[in-house]
Amino acid sequence: MMEKIKSTLVALCEEMTVSGYEYRAENKIRELCGSAFDEIRVSPLGSFVLVKKSKNKNAKRLLIDAHLDNVGMMVTDIKKGGFLSVVNIGGLDTRVLPATEVTVYGKQEIYGLVTSTPPHLRKAGADSVPKMDELYIDTGYSLEELEKIVTIGDPVGYRLKLTEMENGYVTTSGLDDKACVCAIIEAIKDVDRDELKYDIYVTVSAQEETGKNGSARSAFEIEPDIAIITDVNFASGDGTPEHECIKCRGGAAVDISSLTDRALTRNIIKLLKDKGIKHQIICEPGKTYTNNEGLLISGKGVRTAVLSVPLKNMHTPCETVNLEDIKSLKEIIKAIVTDGEL
Amino acid sequence: MKELLRELSLAFGPSGCEDGVKDIIKSYIEKNMPACGEVSCDTSGGLFLTLKKEGAPRLMICAHMDEVGFMVTHIEENGLLRFGCVGGIDPIVLTSKRVVSESGHRGSIIAKPVHILSKDERDKRPKIENMMIDIGADSREEAEKVTFVGEYFTFDSDYVEYGEGYVKCKALDDRLGCAIMCKLIKDIATGEVSSDYELHFAFTCREEVGYSGAFAATERIKPDYGIVIESKAVADVHGVSDQKKVCVLGDGAIVSFADLGTIYDRDFTRHIMDLCEKNNIKYQVHRIISGGNDSRNIQISASGCRVALLSAASRYIHSPADVVHYDDLDAIYEAIKAVIRRGN
Repeated sequence: MMEKIKSTLVALCEEMTVSGYEYRAENKIRELCGSAFDEIRVSPLGSFVLVKKSKNKNAKRLLIDAHLDNVGMMVTDIKKGGFLSVVNIGGLDTRVLPATEVTVYGKQEIYGLVTSTPPHLRKAGADSVPKMDELYIDTGYSLEELEKIVTIGDPVGYRLKLTEMENGYVTTSGLDDKACVCAIIEAIKDVDRDELKYDIYVTVSAQEETGKNGSARSAFEIEPDIAIITDVNFASGDGTPEHECIKCRGGAAVDISSLTDRALTRNIIKLLKDKGIKHQIICEPGKTYTNNEGLLISGKGVRTAVLSVPLKNMHTPCETVNLEDIKSLKEIIKAIVTDGEL
Repeated sequence: MKELLRELSLAFGPSGCEDGVKDIIKSYIEKNMPACGEVSCDTSGGLFLTLKKEGAPRLMICAHMDEVGFMVTHIEENGLLRFGCVGGIDPIVLTSKRVVSESGHRGSIIAKPVHILSKDERDKRPKIENMMIDIGADSREEAEKVTFVGEYFTFDSDYVEYGEGYVKCKALDDRLGCAIMCKLIKDIATGEVSSDYELHFAFTCREEVGYSGAFAATERIKPDYGIVIESKAVADVHGVSDQKKVCVLGDGAIVSFADLGTIYDRDFTRHIMDLCEKNNIKYQVHRIISGGNDSRNIQISASGCRVALLSAASRYIHSPADVVHYDDLDAIYEAIKAVIRRGN
């Protein structure tokens, strides 16, 4: 089962899905879903809605959300000597950028490197972190050639492959939130229609990183009775204090928050305890900083719960998750859609 | 040369651990020059090839085999690895970069995540003492199954040709020098290039940590002249004034009159510049006094020798993305070819 999860994750991470460009992954999403869903449609904002209905005519509508987009950059100018100026799309930590490899998605995909100036050639006393407007993308083309390939507004993403580390850990960018997309697709594929207690609407949503726009709009159309939002959450091990986060290899977490439905959350925890499914709890008294905040106020209001996969080094090119925790989320979703008394 | 440069650059060889690189060079020479010379290694870890020519002046051509890297200094309770740098590395290029160990285990360099930094910390460049290597171990026991204190890591970086004639990899500093020397050896073996000097090729080790095998090489060879092939840190990026760029990629071989370690032999350097002019070989002059390399060690070994430096301009040197331009490598090769034919 781990191999299946890994291959789906690799396939998802190969796709460039900087916020606003999720549509590029449509073929990959259709391919990964195969014939497991009744319908796959694309919302006006670029979210994918995957529908699988229960045999039960009176089944409630359960929306399960994970976002597909990730942070990236956009070209703002083309300079002499083959350099591009860029701005960030979503929250980017510029400390990680110098000498980082990227792909520029122009008329063709071209290789690029974020510039860095050697220490002895920098301005004296320049020990501050370079700002976005001091960094450029080095493409190795002349201005004339580059203008034929790249247009202002073209997106730029990290050029990375998923790297396997020890003990089931994998690292690349975009695991926020493709780890959860992977778990949901694999879970629903695994469940027979006969076993479904709910009509399932999976939203693989767009534009979470730039304002959580995608999923809430989809909810207006779907009018779900219940929504379960899955996203990554800070894990310890990268320096984040243990009391503020969850643990890798501890299973997916159920969030307890003032902005999630208390009864729904309690029912999920009870279900997991009854079935002996590994999980952990994270308490977020205020916001969950996920699509939850958009979904719960959509339409006439939705009962929501949030599930989290622990992730280290969020929003960097070395986001790290453990495959065990993705598997755990998959198991939890399977339990909810087949046996959940929500 | 491109194929060889790729193979050499991808080889694992931080300072003091150059055997992988040495093996590639050794088998390349043995394959391409079966009978003409004598390949030897010495206790300093270097690799040498001598092409005897009785009575001719002795010219040593030198490049270093080692690259910058990391060494595990401590394993934390939580499985993260503390490390020190082998050679000089700018901390700003380290955060979030992939690394690979001697034994082939992969990981990344992590720093305190941005969401827990104070405003003050957020604006400051990260320090190496606050970074760690994560290989996916959650305890010291798990880490010790796959690594140990003292194990080497290098950047995990592939070889990419991009734009118009640029190439990116780790360790191009100074595998490009090794590759140029190998090509020269091969072309001498086939008779395509001839030399009026007794040539001594020295592939040295530990240049990045200062105490290089170049000392021992010079003591052993006692050359009359030395040419060092290197890569040079330049600031050839947008936003830097032309003067501060130092040199430009693609504008030809760099000749230097001085750096922080060496005053290069003026006559020898002028002679190389004249040969470049005469033979239409692109060259540029290094426009700042900075850095240093094996040249100093060669100059002050044995009874001293007259040294010149030919280097390729490099962006983002000592990072996972060392970048040079192929035209500059060709120019260095042509310049050396012109030097060794004394009739020129």
